[in-house]
Amino acid sequence: MTTIPIPRSDPDPNGSRAHAQLERYPIMRELPDEGTLTTQLLAPLWTSHPAWKWLFLASGALSLLFLFAIGVTFVRGIGAWGNNIPVAWAYAITDFVWWIGIGHAGTFISAFLLLLHQRWRASINRLAEAMTLFALVNASLFPILHLGRPWFFYWLVPYPATMGVWPNFKSSLPWDVAAISTYFTVSLLFWYLGLVPDLAAARDRAPGRTRRRVYGLFALGWHGSGTEWRHYRVAYTLLAGLATPLVVSVHSIVSLDFAIAQLPGWHSTIFPPYFVVGAIYSGFAMVLMLVLPVRHVFRLHNVITRRHLDHIALLLLVTGSLLAYSYLCEAFGAWYSGDLFERYTMLTARTRGPYAAFFWIMTAVNVLTPQLFWWTRLRTNVVVLFVVGVLIWVGMWLERFVIIVASLNRDFLPSSWHFYAPTWVDWSLLAGSVGLFSFLFLAFLRWVPFVPVSEVKREQREIAWESAYVDRDGAMPEVMR
Amino acid sequence: MSRRAEKPEGTLEFPPGAADPPEWVSRRDFLTLLGAGAAMAAGACMRRPDKPILPYVEAPADVVPGMPLYYATAMPLDGYATGVLVRSITGRPTKIEGNPDHPASLGASGAFEQASLLELYDPHRAGAMRAGRRRTTWDAFVAAFAPAALSRRVGARGAGLRVLMPPTTSPLTVSLLGRLSEAYPDARTYFYAPLESPTRIAASRTSLGAALVPQYDFRAADVVVALDADILAAGPFHLRYAREWADRRRASPSAQLHVAEPTPSPTGTLAVRRLGATWSAIGAIATALLETVGRGARGTGRASGTADASGAALTPDARAWVTAVAADLAAHAGHSIVVCGERQPTDVHVLTNALNAALGNVGTTVWYTPPAVLGDGGPDHDLAALAAELRGGAVDTLVILEGNPCYTAPSDLELSRVVGAVHNTVYLGAYDDETARVSTWHLPAAHYLEAWGDARAYDGTTSAIQPLIAPLHGGRTADEVLAVLAGQPNNSAHDLLRDAWNRAHGGGAPTESDWSEALRRGVVAGSAFARATPAVRPDAVAQANAALAARVGARDQIEIGFVPSRAVHDGRFADNGWLQELPDPVTKLTWDNAALVAPAMAARLGVATNDVVTLRVGERALDTPVLIVPGHADGAIALAMGYGRQGGEAVARSVGVNVNALRTSQARHLAQSVAVSRTGRSHELAIAQPHWAIEGRGSSIVGEDGDGRPSTASSVQPRKRRPLTLYEPKPPSPDGFGADQWAMVIDLDVCTGCSACVVACQAENNIPVVGKDGVMKSREMHWLRIDRYIDGPPDDPRFETQPMLCQHCEKAPCEYVCPVNATVHSEDGLNEMVYNRCVGTRFCSNNCPYKVRRFNWFDYNGEIAETERMAKNPEVTIRARGVMEKCTFCVQRIRDAQMASRLAGDSTTGPVVTACQQSCPTQAIVFGSLTDPESEVSRQFGDPRSFSALDELGTVPRVRYLARRHEADGADDSAGRAR
Repeated sequence: MTTIPIPRSDPDPNGSRAHAQLERYPIMRELPDEGTLTTQLLAPLWTSHPAWKWLFLASGALSLLFLFAIGVTFVRGIGAWGNNIPVAWAYAITDFVWWIGIGHAGTFISAFLLLLHQRWRASINRLAEAMTLFALVNASLFPILHLGRPWFFYWLVPYPATMGVWPNFKSSLPWDVAAISTYFTVSLLFWYLGLVPDLAAARDRAPGRTRRRVYGLFALGWHGSGTEWRHYRVAYTLLAGLATPLVVSVHSIVSLDFAIAQLPGWHSTIFPPYFVVGAIYSGFAMVLMLVLPVRHVFRLHNVITRRHLDHIALLLLVTGSLLAYSYLCEAFGAWYSGDLFERYTMLTARTRGPYAAFFWIMTAVNVLTPQLFWWTRLRTNVVVLFVVGVLIWVGMWLERFVIIVASLNRDFLPSSWHFYAPTWVDWSLLAGSVGLFSFLFLAFLRWVPFVPVSEVKREQREIAWESAYVDRDGAMPEVMR
Repeated sequence: MSRRAEKPEGTLEFPPGAADPPEWVSRRDFLTLLGAGAAMAAGACMRRPDKPILPYVEAPADVVPGMPLYYATAMPLDGYATGVLVRSITGRPTKIEGNPDHPASLGASGAFEQASLLELYDPHRAGAMRAGRRRTTWDAFVAAFAPAALSRRVGARGAGLRVLMPPTTSPLTVSLLGRLSEAYPDARTYFYAPLESPTRIAASRTSLGAALVPQYDFRAADVVVALDADILAAGPFHLRYAREWADRRRASPSAQLHVAEPTPSPTGTLAVRRLGATWSAIGAIATALLETVGRGARGTGRASGTADASGAALTPDARAWVTAVAADLAAHAGHSIVVCGERQPTDVHVLTNALNAALGNVGTTVWYTPPAVLGDGGPDHDLAALAAELRGGAVDTLVILEGNPCYTAPSDLELSRVVGAVHNTVYLGAYDDETARVSTWHLPAAHYLEAWGDARAYDGTTSAIQPLIAPLHGGRTADEVLAVLAGQPNNSAHDLLRDAWNRAHGGGAPTESDWSEALRRGVVAGSAFARATPAVRPDAVAQANAALAARVGARDQIEIGFVPSRAVHDGRFADNGWLQELPDPVTKLTWDNAALVAPAMAARLGVATNDVVTLRVGERALDTPVLIVPGHADGAIALAMGYGRQGGEAVARSVGVNVNALRTSQARHLAQSVAVSRTGRSHELAIAQPHWAIEGRGSSIVGEDGDGRPSTASSVQPRKRRPLTLYEPKPPSPDGFGADQWAMVIDLDVCTGCSACVVACQAENNIPVVGKDGVMKSREMHWLRIDRYIDGPPDDPRFETQPMLCQHCEKAPCEYVCPVNATVHSEDGLNEMVYNRCVGTRFCSNNCPYKVRRFNWFDYNGEIAETERMAKNPEVTIRARGVMEKCTFCVQRIRDAQMASRLAGDSTTGPVVTACQQSCPTQAIVFGSLTDPESEVSRQFGDPRSFSALDELGTVPRVRYLARRHEADGADDSAGRAR
């Protein structure tokens, strides 16, 4: 294999001039020729990183724990969890909302940014889309596990049952089913469609007959003709058009699972935008947690540059600030309503109730940490980014926990107030879902081209083409802007 | 098939299939095996009775499969009968209700009566007769205890024979005991019940000149003063008293109840003036009351100020209470009642008698009758005497007829050891309990639903006890055992009863129709004792006053009162899951007992709820967890009896602590000079409602007036707000199911929180028990719960009681969030739950502001014993794991009534009585249709006191409450407690 000149690390941005330097910093840098680039980006498919096997086994073990906890839940019943009356929803629904929120960043990057012609998405969109899919796998498991009688989950689906009974369309839960299944289908199609040219490239590069056949099978006979590319681009853009509204709709509908209820702490009209913003926020935190190690391990500094990190950090700052506004609005609404119950839940129980510690951690993490990204230097510091990513990832789980449990455990009648504590099954389901996610993601890193080769090459060409048109004054022709 | 056809001709001499490979199973073989397997499986699963059984050739005229029949009988508790009607469906008793004709019931039934059904089906009941370690038979017992055999052991005059049984009122038992003493003149019978106290009889002997017990008519009382007496929720006549008091209160809202008590009781929570006073302080209060009332009567006619002599012994709070209460009593002389707790000392009973006499109540609201209990307060009711005899070694044979005395006896008697040392002990008991374990013979006792017998009510009214079912475990009754001892072994309990009946009516020649009428109605008409109105001897009163004055000692001592558990009584119901899980009406404690202490005392001792403390009385010590109860008297610790069982009852075993360890035969009900020390350990109590404060939501929840003050009779404002809506309310269709619009009203003014309705609901609706762990996780399944709020100053809090059940909201928040239409609204206004459509998302519970929905977290009904299944009401679905359930307004009863009306051709549905309503002693629950403007529920719906809980949410509940009138109009507030 030819040695590929790959930059080992980012050049040190110089103090106060960091910002200026970043401006000039390209989306891609020091890229080799296309053949070598393909070789570089497909290389992880053919060789395994020594740590991969251990990580894969560890995450597999966690997934088994997940399966075991699911088994316990199915055999013994929901009683194996800590849920009670009044806290009829707890960890499982927290996990559900958390995972589905995480999924949003993938769709945002792949569809939203595509339609907005944001070139920087190209390098990381496949990673983010895979994250979306795997998060959705987890997210769609929890509502089913959560049912008292999970074997009847299909009763939430509108189908012409012989008894003539339909789901109750006034309830937000059948909306959920529709929203999530649509979202999963579109995300899967979008991800797979984007993969096709890369699978073909892998087929062409694959050492050995078996791999060639497997990649060939999944490449669906792609051979890269002009007609194919033309149809491909149209289909891809159309799917992006379909996926874009889902970024807004899915989590809006999830938020209605709470907002249509009359429970103080849930019954709030700000919930749909509040949840969408929170979803994208948590998703980008997770993108950071995944992209930074991948970039480091696979030495992708030339395709995932400081520019990407900077943009993600800026998005965190924006969504984090919007989220802080939502928190404020929620509390203000409760105070302004003058309603005894609303005020108690939002102002007393949240801040001083049994789960106050979680509330304060969540507020500190979700509101304060993104404010670090007003500083350019911190926006591109990989350590800071990673730590912030993890913090927000946890903080957003706490947010959902506080919304769900801290609202339910103290509602209207003080006689029914009761504390909720999770059991080992609750913890195992949470840890196991993280395990399953890691398991799927590690498999993805091992066997699927996780940086979109064709997209990167296309962007590279467009950039080269544009720079050829840049005149001597450095100005781009009008048509290029 | 084809293989067989291909076989060569020559092999046909072998039977078909003989040449097939062994693993080959032909279609015929397969079907044969399948059939055989099915038959074997079915045979193995069948529980064929071991005696030949015969099908109905001619079905009994009164048994229609699936149709309920009601039989009257009576449940004896501590000897006293409470009349009940038992519903039997195809020979299986499934529900217990009150007998309206019985004086102790008046149609209501308490938690114990309701839960006794589960006791019948308890799988842990003793199932076999035992002699030594061997199983034995009734015939063997009869042979061994027939006079010929027994007199060889105990002597011809029975000098070595002793019988120990709980106090009895049964005429049959009395006559059998008479025959026993004819057969064995030197044999003695002792009576013991841990809660029994001789003081009331002793007081009547000294102050009234005869053994008498007081009787009351609360319907005629305007002021009731209860001194350490839980008149509305405990004692043999509490159902009647609660009903009478509620009737009085409804008729006259100014009727007032004043309570001084050490530990908050349901009666105390309903009091207008409630005082927390230790057990030993009650005497001084009685003295001060008598003195103040007496001075008022002599002087101006209206009492003012507390007498100085006794007042010195009182705390300022107590003095204020006495002043106010005495004034109230004096103003209603002749129309008041003073009641004192059964276990108070003799002197206090004397003063109570004197008070009633001084107020002129005797003859109007108070009168006296002879005690119903045989030899009440007499020398035979002394367990210590029996223990001394046993220790003396002169007793050869001891026959214990129920009551588990080895557990309930005071610890200084060491009864287990003493009984174990007797050569020959017979124990008739329902369980393999502490007494059974030290006895030579153990005979399973029949449940009262399996037994023939009789018993008297507190006022003497006799009831026959008739069985609903043949004994499930071959149980026998005490009367049958006594008959064996008296030499009449061949008589069944039924024959004994008929015989006694005939003899009792010897003069009047009772006819068969008299007998069946008595059985049918459940009472023997005219059998109540005659009233007596004796005068009080002044010298006895003076003596009592002097004795009490001498006893006033150090006030900072700690004392322990041993009180009956409101769940398991004296331990008799300890194996009853319904009662163990029934939250205490005041503290909401389940599955445990605890040392109840006042907040101030807990602060002084440095303990919190759940902390384990060591209580020391002399050299006896007991470790018990603490439960802090606002309103508890400072310096007093209440310990409930009946826990810490170590017998063979699986449910009862090791639940709570055995307080008998601290009881002695000298201090059976009250231990003084108690030392309390911390252990540093803690024991988590399962409190069904951990949060007692109402958080300033009183006006939304319990109908306080707008300022958050407790409502008085006139301050309750009409609450007729209808929520704003964009939609025209759809009028119910006038015919079909919509012809009725069901609704319920609960009157908080008379609800004692006694929780009879909770158990009634549990029995009627097949509600499972979840265990201590389940309660700690807040997973109780009760469809109807009693919310208890304790708010205000910790030493003098305000108690609010509110039964909370599905409110059957017209705009039900649960309905629109159910994704599968499993909870829907019926035409007649019920919020219905479709169990087999429910997938268990639990969204409905989250959206229910009343949190009355219950979820089947586990397969609660899949793991119960065969006999417990028999207790299930066949009219109500057994819910599976993973589905939601809740109050249905007893829809099975509604549909039954509708069907009956239709069959009868009536256009309107007949009266529907829900299970909770039926049991309610105070008739606080009213149920009916709003479409009938004349119905009680329609009238109360429009009552000025009626309100909907959480009215502002716009759920439009079909359950309304009538707000409690905390203080009567025009009450003298200066003397009352300031708020």
